Amino acid sequence: MTDIRVDSVSKRYGKHVVLDDINFRIKSGEVVAIIGPSGSGKSTLLRCINYLEPPNSGIIAVGDLQMDCEARPANTDLDRLRRTVGMVFQSFNLFPHLTVLRNVSLAQERVLKRPRKEADERSMELLRRVGLADKSEQYPSRCSGGQQQRIAIARALALDPKAMLFDEPTSALDPELGLEVLTVMRELAETGMTMIVVTHEMRFAENVSDRVIVMADGRIIEHGESAAIMRSPQTARTQQFLHAVRDR
Amino acid sequence: MIDTLSFWREWLPLLLEGLKVSVEVAFASIPIGIFLGLVFALGIQSKSKPLQALTVFVVELGRGTPVLILLQFAYFGLPSAGLALSSYAAAVAALAASTGAYTSEIIRAGLEAVPYGQKEAAIAIGLSRRDQLRDIILPQGLRIAVPPLLGFSILVFQGTSLGFAIALPELISRAYFVGSNTFHYMPIFVLAGLLFAAICVPATLLVSRLEKRLSRYTAS
Amino acid sequence: MAGNFWSILAGVPLTIALTFLAFAVGAIFGFPIWMMRMAKTRPVRLTATGFILAFRSIPPIVWLFLIFFGVGSGDISLSPFISAVIGMGLITAANMAEIYRGAYAGLDIGQTEAATALGIRTYHRFRDVIVPQMLRTALPSAVTFAIGLLKDTSIASLIGVQEVAFQVNALAQRTFTGFDIYVIAALIYVAISLPFAVIARWADLTLRLRVAR
Repeated sequence: MTDIRVDSVSKRYGKHVVLDDINFRIKSGEVVAIIGPSGSGKSTLLRCINYLEPPNSGIIAVGDLQMDCEARPANTDLDRLRRTVGMVFQSFNLFPHLTVLRNVSLAQERVLKRPRKEADERSMELLRRVGLADKSEQYPSRCSGGQQQRIAIARALALDPKAMLFDEPTSALDPELGLEVLTVMRELAETGMTMIVVTHEMRFAENVSDRVIVMADGRIIEHGESAAIMRSPQTARTQQFLHAVRDR
Repeated sequence: MIDTLSFWREWLPLLLEGLKVSVEVAFASIPIGIFLGLVFALGIQSKSKPLQALTVFVVELGRGTPVLILLQFAYFGLPSAGLALSSYAAAVAALAASTGAYTSEIIRAGLEAVPYGQKEAAIAIGLSRRDQLRDIILPQGLRIAVPPLLGFSILVFQGTSLGFAIALPELISRAYFVGSNTFHYMPIFVLAGLLFAAICVPATLLVSRLEKRLSRYTAS
Repeated sequence: MAGNFWSILAGVPLTIALTFLAFAVGAIFGFPIWMMRMAKTRPVRLTATGFILAFRSIPPIVWLFLIFFGVGSGDISLSPFISAVIGMGLITAANMAEIYRGAYAGLDIGQTEAATALGIRTYHRFRDVIVPQMLRTALPSAVTFAIGLLKDTSIASLIGVQEVAFQVNALAQRTFTGFDIYVIAALIYVAISLPFAVIARWADLTLRLRVAR
């Protein structure tokens, strides 16, 4: 089972505290949405979980892999962590010099040491799953933003991760393009993938995710079942935030 | 080592005299060259097609020809057309021409970097074409061009070393004179190199610092 | 006049060979220098910075004289051509290191992050993701530099490499004329650099279409 555990994780940039004693657990197969005003540390938290930004203290555990944040991470642990946890970025970050197919295949060949033919077959399967098999020989620049983000999801899935992190996956997209990405994410959630999603899409938080974590100023201010938090938030800060985003 | 130091001490005054010539030639050719560059830049943007074509031709020829050939042309070539220049004048003429050709591109890029809204605003408040250029576009465009122009000026200073080929008594000519008389080529050219570095390294670092500072103000 | 013209053209192969070899030396050696320039250890970084500053701040003629007269008059004897290849090659290396650095700085940090998040280790991250994109962004500046290098190879005439500028001066001295000979020389250099510029523009356009987002 691949549970994710975040124990008293903190992150500072110099004196500026970005994450202050963050604690939570996620069970295998759960979908958790992280919401909150900008600058609250949501994205940093996500990037700490796969060590794109190493935290300063605390413990991050994914399955039986446990990272002590005060120690220098071993390369083998980092490799395992990144193989277990996939990541999707706000700005897609597809490799512009590789075709769509090669984007999805690259890590399989370099990390899993799969032969090219096998990797390409698996990539085609994933591209079919996100509805983009016909784009496989195109370059990313020829695809719409929504298509690029679906390719990025396929690319992250190619390592057969046990959990997926999404960093505001629809924020750079027009609403109708965001919708096609959200559809793919909903389908992924239905397959039982463990997912942590930093998002501004309140409907996704309410309808797809099991739980919601609300952050402000580097702390978790509220944490609970999606329906409960979205309908009757307890803290004034959450009420204010939900009010502001829904008024938009 | 001690030998080298005393050798350097012996010949340093002569090299410094040469360095003075290098600096003088650079200081004469850079302003003339940048002025030419501005004229060329405006010529390329001119509405008159023949003028535009002529400027493009002159600039491309100036940029396409090695500076060494320009120098030799000015010194050895012009006399056969009835114009004999001293090595000083020939060096200044050639370096200024080359500077003009290169800086015209730098200045043009600076002028083009001024947002089009500035021109529209100038038209909207009723400025004439000349005043648009003089009061709005040039002051902003030239400011953008300052760091690359300074960077190019360092290259012009280095280019004075080619005055060697036309017997201009600059730094390298002096060093070569010492080398061929004493046969200690290595130490004398090392000293000449250090003198160039003593001026160009700080200048390069200053320009790149200036560049960073200016980009900070224009970026956001 | 026709005969004169041919004697200048005789220098063209050497001009091209010198440009090509010096550029190859520089493009290859520029790579480790760029890597050193980015190294975490301070002494390594400073060595690379010193190399780059020295070869960019001291004019080419000094390096050529240093190598040909200085080094070459010692125990090792170097031909003018080899001296020129070494000198211009090292100057090119310093400049290419800076061009690589600029190209790397221009890369979106998201590219490195995406590769890292996929668990791709440093070596393959550079080989498969960063360097291919860098080479494309570096291409226009590299070609601009190569055209400048072509013209700077004329300086090799001063240590006796019999390339175009050398032939031009020999001819001018033989015939006591100059004006038209130098004009022809200028046109030859323009003519050699023209195909470079055309290819560069074409390559830049096609690559930009591909890499554009």
